[in-house]
Amino acid sequence: MTPFEAGTFPSGFASSIRWEPIDVDPGADVRYPTMEGSEWSRLLGMLVNSAGALKDRPVSELVESIGRTADRFLDPEDPVRLEAVEWLPPTAGISVEMAAEVLDGMARDWTADRLFELLERELGGVEVLDGFHRIDAGRMVHAGGGSLTFHVGAGTVPGVSVTSMIRALLVKSAVLLKPGRGDLALPILFARALAEEDEGAADAVAVAYWPGGSGAAEEVALATADVVMAYGSSESVAALRARTAGTADFIGYRHRVSFGVVGRGALSHEEAERVARSAAKAVSLFDQRGCVSPHVLYAERGGTVDPAAWAGILAEAMGELEDALPGGCLTPEEASSLHQLRGAAELEEAAGDGSRVYRGKRGSWTVIFQAGPVFRTSCQNRVVYVNPVADLAEVPELLSRVRRSLQTVAAAGLGDRRERLAAALGRVGVRRITSFEHAPWPPPWWHHDGASVFSGLLGWIDLEDE
Amino acid sequence: MDNGFAKLTDDLKTTFRGSMAGPWPDERFGEWALRVFQYQFEANPTYSRYCRNRGLDPSVLERWEEIPPVPTSAFKVVPLVSGDPSRVQRVFRTSGTTRGAGSRGAHYVLDLDLYRASLTPNIEAHLYPPGPVPRLLALVPSPDEVPDSSLSFMLAEALSVLSDGDGGFFVRPSEGLDVVGLSRALATATEEGVPVLLAGTAFAFVHWLGYLAETASRYELPAGSRILETGGFKGRSRALSRPEFYQALSSAHAVPIERIVNEYGMTELLSQRYEPLLSEPQSGSSAGSLEHRRHVAPPWMRTRVLDPVSLEPVPVGREGLLCHYDLANAGSVMAVLTEDLGSVDDEGRLRFAGRLEGAEPRGCSLAMDQLLSTAGEL
Repeated sequence: MTPFEAGTFPSGFASSIRWEPIDVDPGADVRYPTMEGSEWSRLLGMLVNSAGALKDRPVSELVESIGRTADRFLDPEDPVRLEAVEWLPPTAGISVEMAAEVLDGMARDWTADRLFELLERELGGVEVLDGFHRIDAGRMVHAGGGSLTFHVGAGTVPGVSVTSMIRALLVKSAVLLKPGRGDLALPILFARALAEEDEGAADAVAVAYWPGGSGAAEEVALATADVVMAYGSSESVAALRARTAGTADFIGYRHRVSFGVVGRGALSHEEAERVARSAAKAVSLFDQRGCVSPHVLYAERGGTVDPAAWAGILAEAMGELEDALPGGCLTPEEASSLHQLRGAAELEEAAGDGSRVYRGKRGSWTVIFQAGPVFRTSCQNRVVYVNPVADLAEVPELLSRVRRSLQTVAAAGLGDRRERLAAALGRVGVRRITSFEHAPWPPPWWHHDGASVFSGLLGWIDLEDE
Repeated sequence: MDNGFAKLTDDLKTTFRGSMAGPWPDERFGEWALRVFQYQFEANPTYSRYCRNRGLDPSVLERWEEIPPVPTSAFKVVPLVSGDPSRVQRVFRTSGTTRGAGSRGAHYVLDLDLYRASLTPNIEAHLYPPGPVPRLLALVPSPDEVPDSSLSFMLAEALSVLSDGDGGFFVRPSEGLDVVGLSRALATATEEGVPVLLAGTAFAFVHWLGYLAETASRYELPAGSRILETGGFKGRSRALSRPEFYQALSSAHAVPIERIVNEYGMTELLSQRYEPLLSEPQSGSSAGSLEHRRHVAPPWMRTRVLDPVSLEPVPVGREGLLCHYDLANAGSVMAVLTEDLGSVDDEGRLRFAGRLEGAEPRGCSLAMDQLLSTAGEL
C-alpha cells in the first residue's frame, strides 16, 4: 500500500512539508504534514485570497461542482469511490461493508439536488448568497460567510467533516479543515476530487491532520479564522473555544448521547420484528460511534410482545446485521471496555437481577435486557440496553443524568402520543425525534443540537430602502 | 459449605507460610487453582451461573488457565462472595477515582486471616530484608478511620507484625496529609538513627514533595531506610515522569532510588506484586534503570497476558491485558481480568505498561466517564 497523505493543499501552494507517521491501523501507512508556523500563515493567506474569488461566483456554480464531486463518491465504478472504500476501513476502524454504507448515506446529502433543497429551505433559495435580494418590505438582504472558516472534526463518524466543509463553501468561505483521527480519508479525498471538478473552489480548501492541541497550525488557524467550528468531547470543544480569538465566531458541537423508544403499538407480533431490524441498524451504523446512535432502547410493556422477549428479537436482528454489515476492528481500549462491560452485565444476569445478556459469537454486538430503567451509556461498538417501562410517558423523568447531553430519540409505535411525548422529551433536552430508519441520517437541514444549519457560519447585510 | 471454606483457607494459610522461598512448579499452582475454583463454583451461585452460561464447570475444565475470570468492573455491580455472605468480615472498596466517584468496586472478604497470610510474608520478603527493623511511616489513613481501604489494612498489619508497632499513619480522611506530624516523625527517626519504611501512594508522595519544596526542606534518613510507593501509576495524569518522581523522592529523603520499591496491587486482589529490589539485592545493579524493573508475585498468584481483543494468551514477553489468578481470593473470585497492560517473562515477572481505560474514546457518543462527570455538574 502506498502511504496515505493526510493533507491536501491549494494547487499553487508549494512548501517544504515533512510527512510524519500517524498511528492508526497497524497495517496502514498514514502520514500527516508538518510545516513551520510561517508556512501555515502563508497557506491561510492563500486561502483567504481564494475566498475572495469565490465571492464573485454564483453559488449555483459551486453547488454544481460540489454535486459532481459527490456523484463520484456514489458511483461504484469511480476510482474516487474505490479509493474511499479502500482507505475508510484502516483509518476509521470500520468494515468495508460499513464503509460503502456510510459513503452512500453521506454523499447522498452532498449532491446538487440536496444542496439546492437545503439552500431553498434555509435561505429561500440561492439569491441572497449572490447579492442583495428583497425578502420582505423595507429592505434587501445579502448573506455571506467570513473569509476563512477553521473546522476541527471529531473523527468519529466518517464524512461529517466533509459536510462541514461543504457548508462553508456554500457561504463562500475558504476552509481549513483538521479532521479527527478516525475521519482522515473522506475530507482529503473529497478535497482532491473537488480540485478535479473545480480548481477555483478547491483552491479555497486545505485539509490537514495534526495531533490535536499541538503544533503551529492550530495556533495560527485559531488566530486567523473568522469562524471556528469544532466537533468533539466537551473538554476539547471547551479548550478550543478558550483559545479562539475573541473576534471570531465559535460554533461547538460536543459529544451527545441518543436513545430509542418503542411503544406498545410496535410490540405486536406483526411489528416487533420489523422494528427490531430498524433498531438494530440504527444502533449498528457507524458501529454506534455517532452522536445519533442509540445507547438505550426503552420498550413499553402492555404489547403482545413483552420487552424481555423483544430484547431477544432485537438480539437476533443484531446478529443478522453483523453478517450483512460487519463491525470494524476494535482498538485495545475499545475491546477492553467491551470485556469489562459484558463481563459485569453477565455477572448481574447470573446474580439473578432479572437482566439478560445476548452477545454475538462473532463481533462485538451485545444486547442487555435490564430489569430496571436506569439510563446507562454503552461502551459503543454495538452494545445496547433494552429497558422496560410501564408507560413511555415515564421516560423523560428517567433522563436527568444525561439531560445536558441528549440529542436524538428514535421512536416507533407511539401512535397519537407522538407529539405529546416529543414535547415532553424536548423539555428535558432532546433535540430531535425521528424514526429508527432515519435516526442515523439526519437530513441536511436538521437543527443539529438545536441550531440552524448556517447559524454562526453566515452573516446578513441589510440594505434598507431609501 | 462454610466448613469447606474453613478447611480450604486453613490449607491455604499453611501453604502460604512456607512458600516465599521459591516459585511453585506449574502442577502445584494448577492443582491449587483448580481446587479453589471447584470450591468457588460450589460456594458462589452467581459465579457458577456465570461459568455455566459460558459452558464451563469443574467437570469440563482441565487446566487452571481455563478458569473464567470476572472483570474488575464486576466488583462494582454484584457482590462476589464465595461462601456465606453473612460471614463477611470486611468490605474493601476501590477508590473510585478512575471511573467516576459514583461507582466504587467492593471486595467482600470472608477471612481477613487469609489476607494476612498472603500479605505479611510477601511484604516482609520485599521490604523487610534482614537487618534492623524499620519504623513504618504511612502516607495513608489509619484503618480505624478508613476500614474499607485494603491498603490501610495492609500497612497496619505490616506496622504491627513486622515493625513491632513502631510507626504511624499520616493522612486524615478529612484533613489530608498531616505534614507537620510527618515532618516531626522523620526528624525524630533521623535523630534516633532508626531506619524508616516510608510508604504511600504516588499521589500522596507528590503532595508531600510539594510541601517539602515549598518549605525548602529535605531529610537525611538513616541508612537502611526504604520507600514503598504504591497504587499511584494508574489512571491519573501526573505532572512528573516516573524517573523525575523517583529522583525527587530519593533526594528529598536521602534514600537511594534502588531502595524505592513499587507495589502493584489492587483492591480486587488480596495478593500483591513487588519490585524485588531489597529481596534480591543481586538484581540491584539494574534497579536504578526503571525500565528494567519487574514486579514479582508470591507463588500463589499468577498472571496471564491476553490479547485485548480475542482474550487469547499472547506469547511470553508480548504485551497484553493482565488477568490475575490469586489463591488468596478464595473467598471472592480468584480470576480477575483487569484493564491493565503489561507483559510477563518466562519467570512470571511482570512489566506493568499502563492502563487502557484512560485512552481517548474514539466515538462521539458520550463515554461513561464523561457522562458521570457531566452528571456531577447538575
